[in-house]
Amino acid sequence: MQAEAFLREIEATLELPEGSLKPEDTLEDIAEWDSLAVISFIALVDEKLGLAVDGEALANAATVGDLLALVQEKLAA
Amino acid sequence: MTAPFNPMSLAGRRVLVTGASSGIGRAVAQLVAQLDGTVVAAGRDAGRLAATVESLAGAGHEAVAFDLGEIDAIPPFVQKLSAEGGALAGIAHCAGIQIGKPVRVTDQAFMDQMFRINVESGIALARGLRQRGVAVPGASLVLLSSVSALVGQASNVVYCASKGAVLAATKALAVELMRDKIRVNAVLPALVETEMAERFRATMTEAQWQGYAAQYPMGIGRPEDIANAVAFLLSDAARWINGIGLVIDGGVLAG
Repeated sequence: MQAEAFLREIEATLELPEGSLKPEDTLEDIAEWDSLAVISFIALVDEKLGLAVDGEALANAATVGDLLALVQEKLAA
Repeated sequence: MTAPFNPMSLAGRRVLVTGASSGIGRAVAQLVAQLDGTVVAAGRDAGRLAATVESLAGAGHEAVAFDLGEIDAIPPFVQKLSAEGGALAGIAHCAGIQIGKPVRVTDQAFMDQMFRINVESGIALARGLRQRGVAVPGASLVLLSSVSALVGQASNVVYCASKGAVLAATKALAVELMRDKIRVNAVLPALVETEMAERFRATMTEAQWQGYAAQYPMGIGRPEDIANAVAFLLSDAARWINGIGLVIDGGVLAG
């Protein structure tokens, strides 16, 4: 999956309009990024990319780009 | 010398254990073998099943690779096991899945998968066990429900619903299968140290995990804690126990 396509998946998970998320966006500023969104993200990564997100690494993610970095190995260049 | 009396002895009993390649299923298989029962270990992964069978005490155990997602194939599968290897004295249905998802990302495919593996497979195993000649009189079916059937958990709605359905199915099957001389009971574990729990833990920070574990006054459970209860329900020591859901949670729900 391309990084762009995965961004669209994150938007759908957070119920955000398509194209609204940018890698530089800060998670703290996204109202929809709550504890249930975190679990939804973990499930999304597991289901679409077959990857188990590391809890510590996810807690340290500050931006949308950090989320993409967590799954970089599974994203097509 | 006569063997010491053991009311939980499973000597001469052939027991099908699903989900036997890991976690609670593997612990149940090991205990059934220690109680002198003969184990038919079923699961999807032939390699890991073989490792389970190799770990069992005694002889005569077998591994059978089978995908419980094929619901209509389950009754003939059980019939074939019985026809080829002898009637079954019990089934411990330990296979199951847990995937946490908030309702906001829950769709039909996800719900269908969870209910197929967690609910429908157990009902199909009951159908298989009650076929003519498959079960010995007094056979026992033990299903794995969960404390999630009793206590709501955010982001776990489909799992909770599936385990609640297992508990309801247990009671209905107990009533229906009495005429077939088959008992049906469920165990309701809280969190147990298994690979399934390890995956859950890995998605948390250490601090989050510590907060979660703090809810357990007697600590997180071990697979053997559940296996002991399953073996009891399989045995004749539980002859007069039918249609129950046995909570095994280290006192979590008591408080």
